[in-house]
Amino acid sequence: METDDFAADAALFAHLRAEWQERDPVPAGLIDRMVAAVAVEDLSREYALLTLVEGEYAAVRGESDTSTLQFSDGKTSVLLHVTALEGGDHRIDGWVDAAAHEVQLVQGEREQKSQVGEHGRFAFDGVRTGLTRVRLAVTRDGEASWFQTPQFEI
Amino acid sequence: MYQRPAFLPLPDVATIVDVTSLDEPVTGDPPAGGEPPRWERAGTLFAQWREGDTRAMDELVQLMTPTLWHVVRAYGVDAALAEDVVQTTWLTLVRRHETITDPRAVSGWLTTCARREAWRAGKAQRRADVTDTEVLEPQLPSAESAEASATRSDASQRLWAAVEQLTERCRRLLRVIAFDDRPDYARIAKDMAMPIGSIGPTRQRCLTKLRTLLGDEGVAAYGD
Repeated sequence: METDDFAADAALFAHLRAEWQERDPVPAGLIDRMVAAVAVEDLSREYALLTLVEGEYAAVRGESDTSTLQFSDGKTSVLLHVTALEGGDHRIDGWVDAAAHEVQLVQGEREQKSQVGEHGRFAFDGVRTGLTRVRLAVTRDGEASWFQTPQFEI
Repeated sequence: MYQRPAFLPLPDVATIVDVTSLDEPVTGDPPAGGEPPRWERAGTLFAQWREGDTRAMDELVQLMTPTLWHVVRAYGVDAALAEDVVQTTWLTLVRRHETITDPRAVSGWLTTCARREAWRAGKAQRRADVTDTEVLEPQLPSAESAEASATRSDASQRLWAAVEQLTERCRRLLRVIAFDDRPDYARIAKDMAMPIGSIGPTRQRCLTKLRTLLGDEGVAAYGD
């Protein structure tokens, strides 16, 4: 093959690439979602600790008793609203103000996962009494981070 | 994401057929004065991640996700499924990265994994959708507004019209090769159930067909 042919093929491929990039572009947010998804799976990651900025660690006990905890590292904030349900279980409604991919609720060996919905909302049902922490995979400025809250009692 | 339309001229077909292992990188001069090709940057980032730099993985994902998107979409899977396939590819890398002996092979490993997943997913989707006309719609190029197509150059519109007249197989092969800056013909051949030696000629036939469809103007613009 001649060098000219290579150059001509290369030019044609460059034009084709431009067409596909414009007509079927990478969806908005896909890269951030992939960065976060990989971070969730990457066990070598270290967790950055969020600190309690509002609320008390006191356990929520009575029926229809609620408490609200807010954690932050200065940039990313998480709000947890804990409600005691009939029968002794609890429900946690949460909200995070960063692009979060996945939230985990950790109670000892037990882990629950929740996807984060619109406006950073997530929820856990059937949460038992005990020491609990929440972990989140968050993407900020194209970089993924793992956060976790200190343990709190439910 | 593609800051530069870097295209590495493909080595001769005879050479490519001999290169069957990604662990033996194609030797070639780096582009003069430019940054290293994408597959090489990917290899560097992957090696850094393995040495404990977690941020290098974020960069690798940013670098390679657009390529994987186009490779997967070449198989005609709809957008939602394509996102799943790209994600599966990344998760497979994290879980099985030990199987990659040479970090420089990571780019080829990713595109190969994406092509296989896309092929599998596409086949399952076509089987499931066979009587469902509704689902054919997302696989078609989205209808454009008149405004968007009006701003496109004539050359662009002619090129696209020609692309749409190619066979599905030609379109797929050209798209995969266009976005993979170091295509491994042996693996593409295997994955597309084509004889290894036929990929180069097939690629050439597809390009020739495309040029024919473009007519005289195409020849002037892109060579014959």
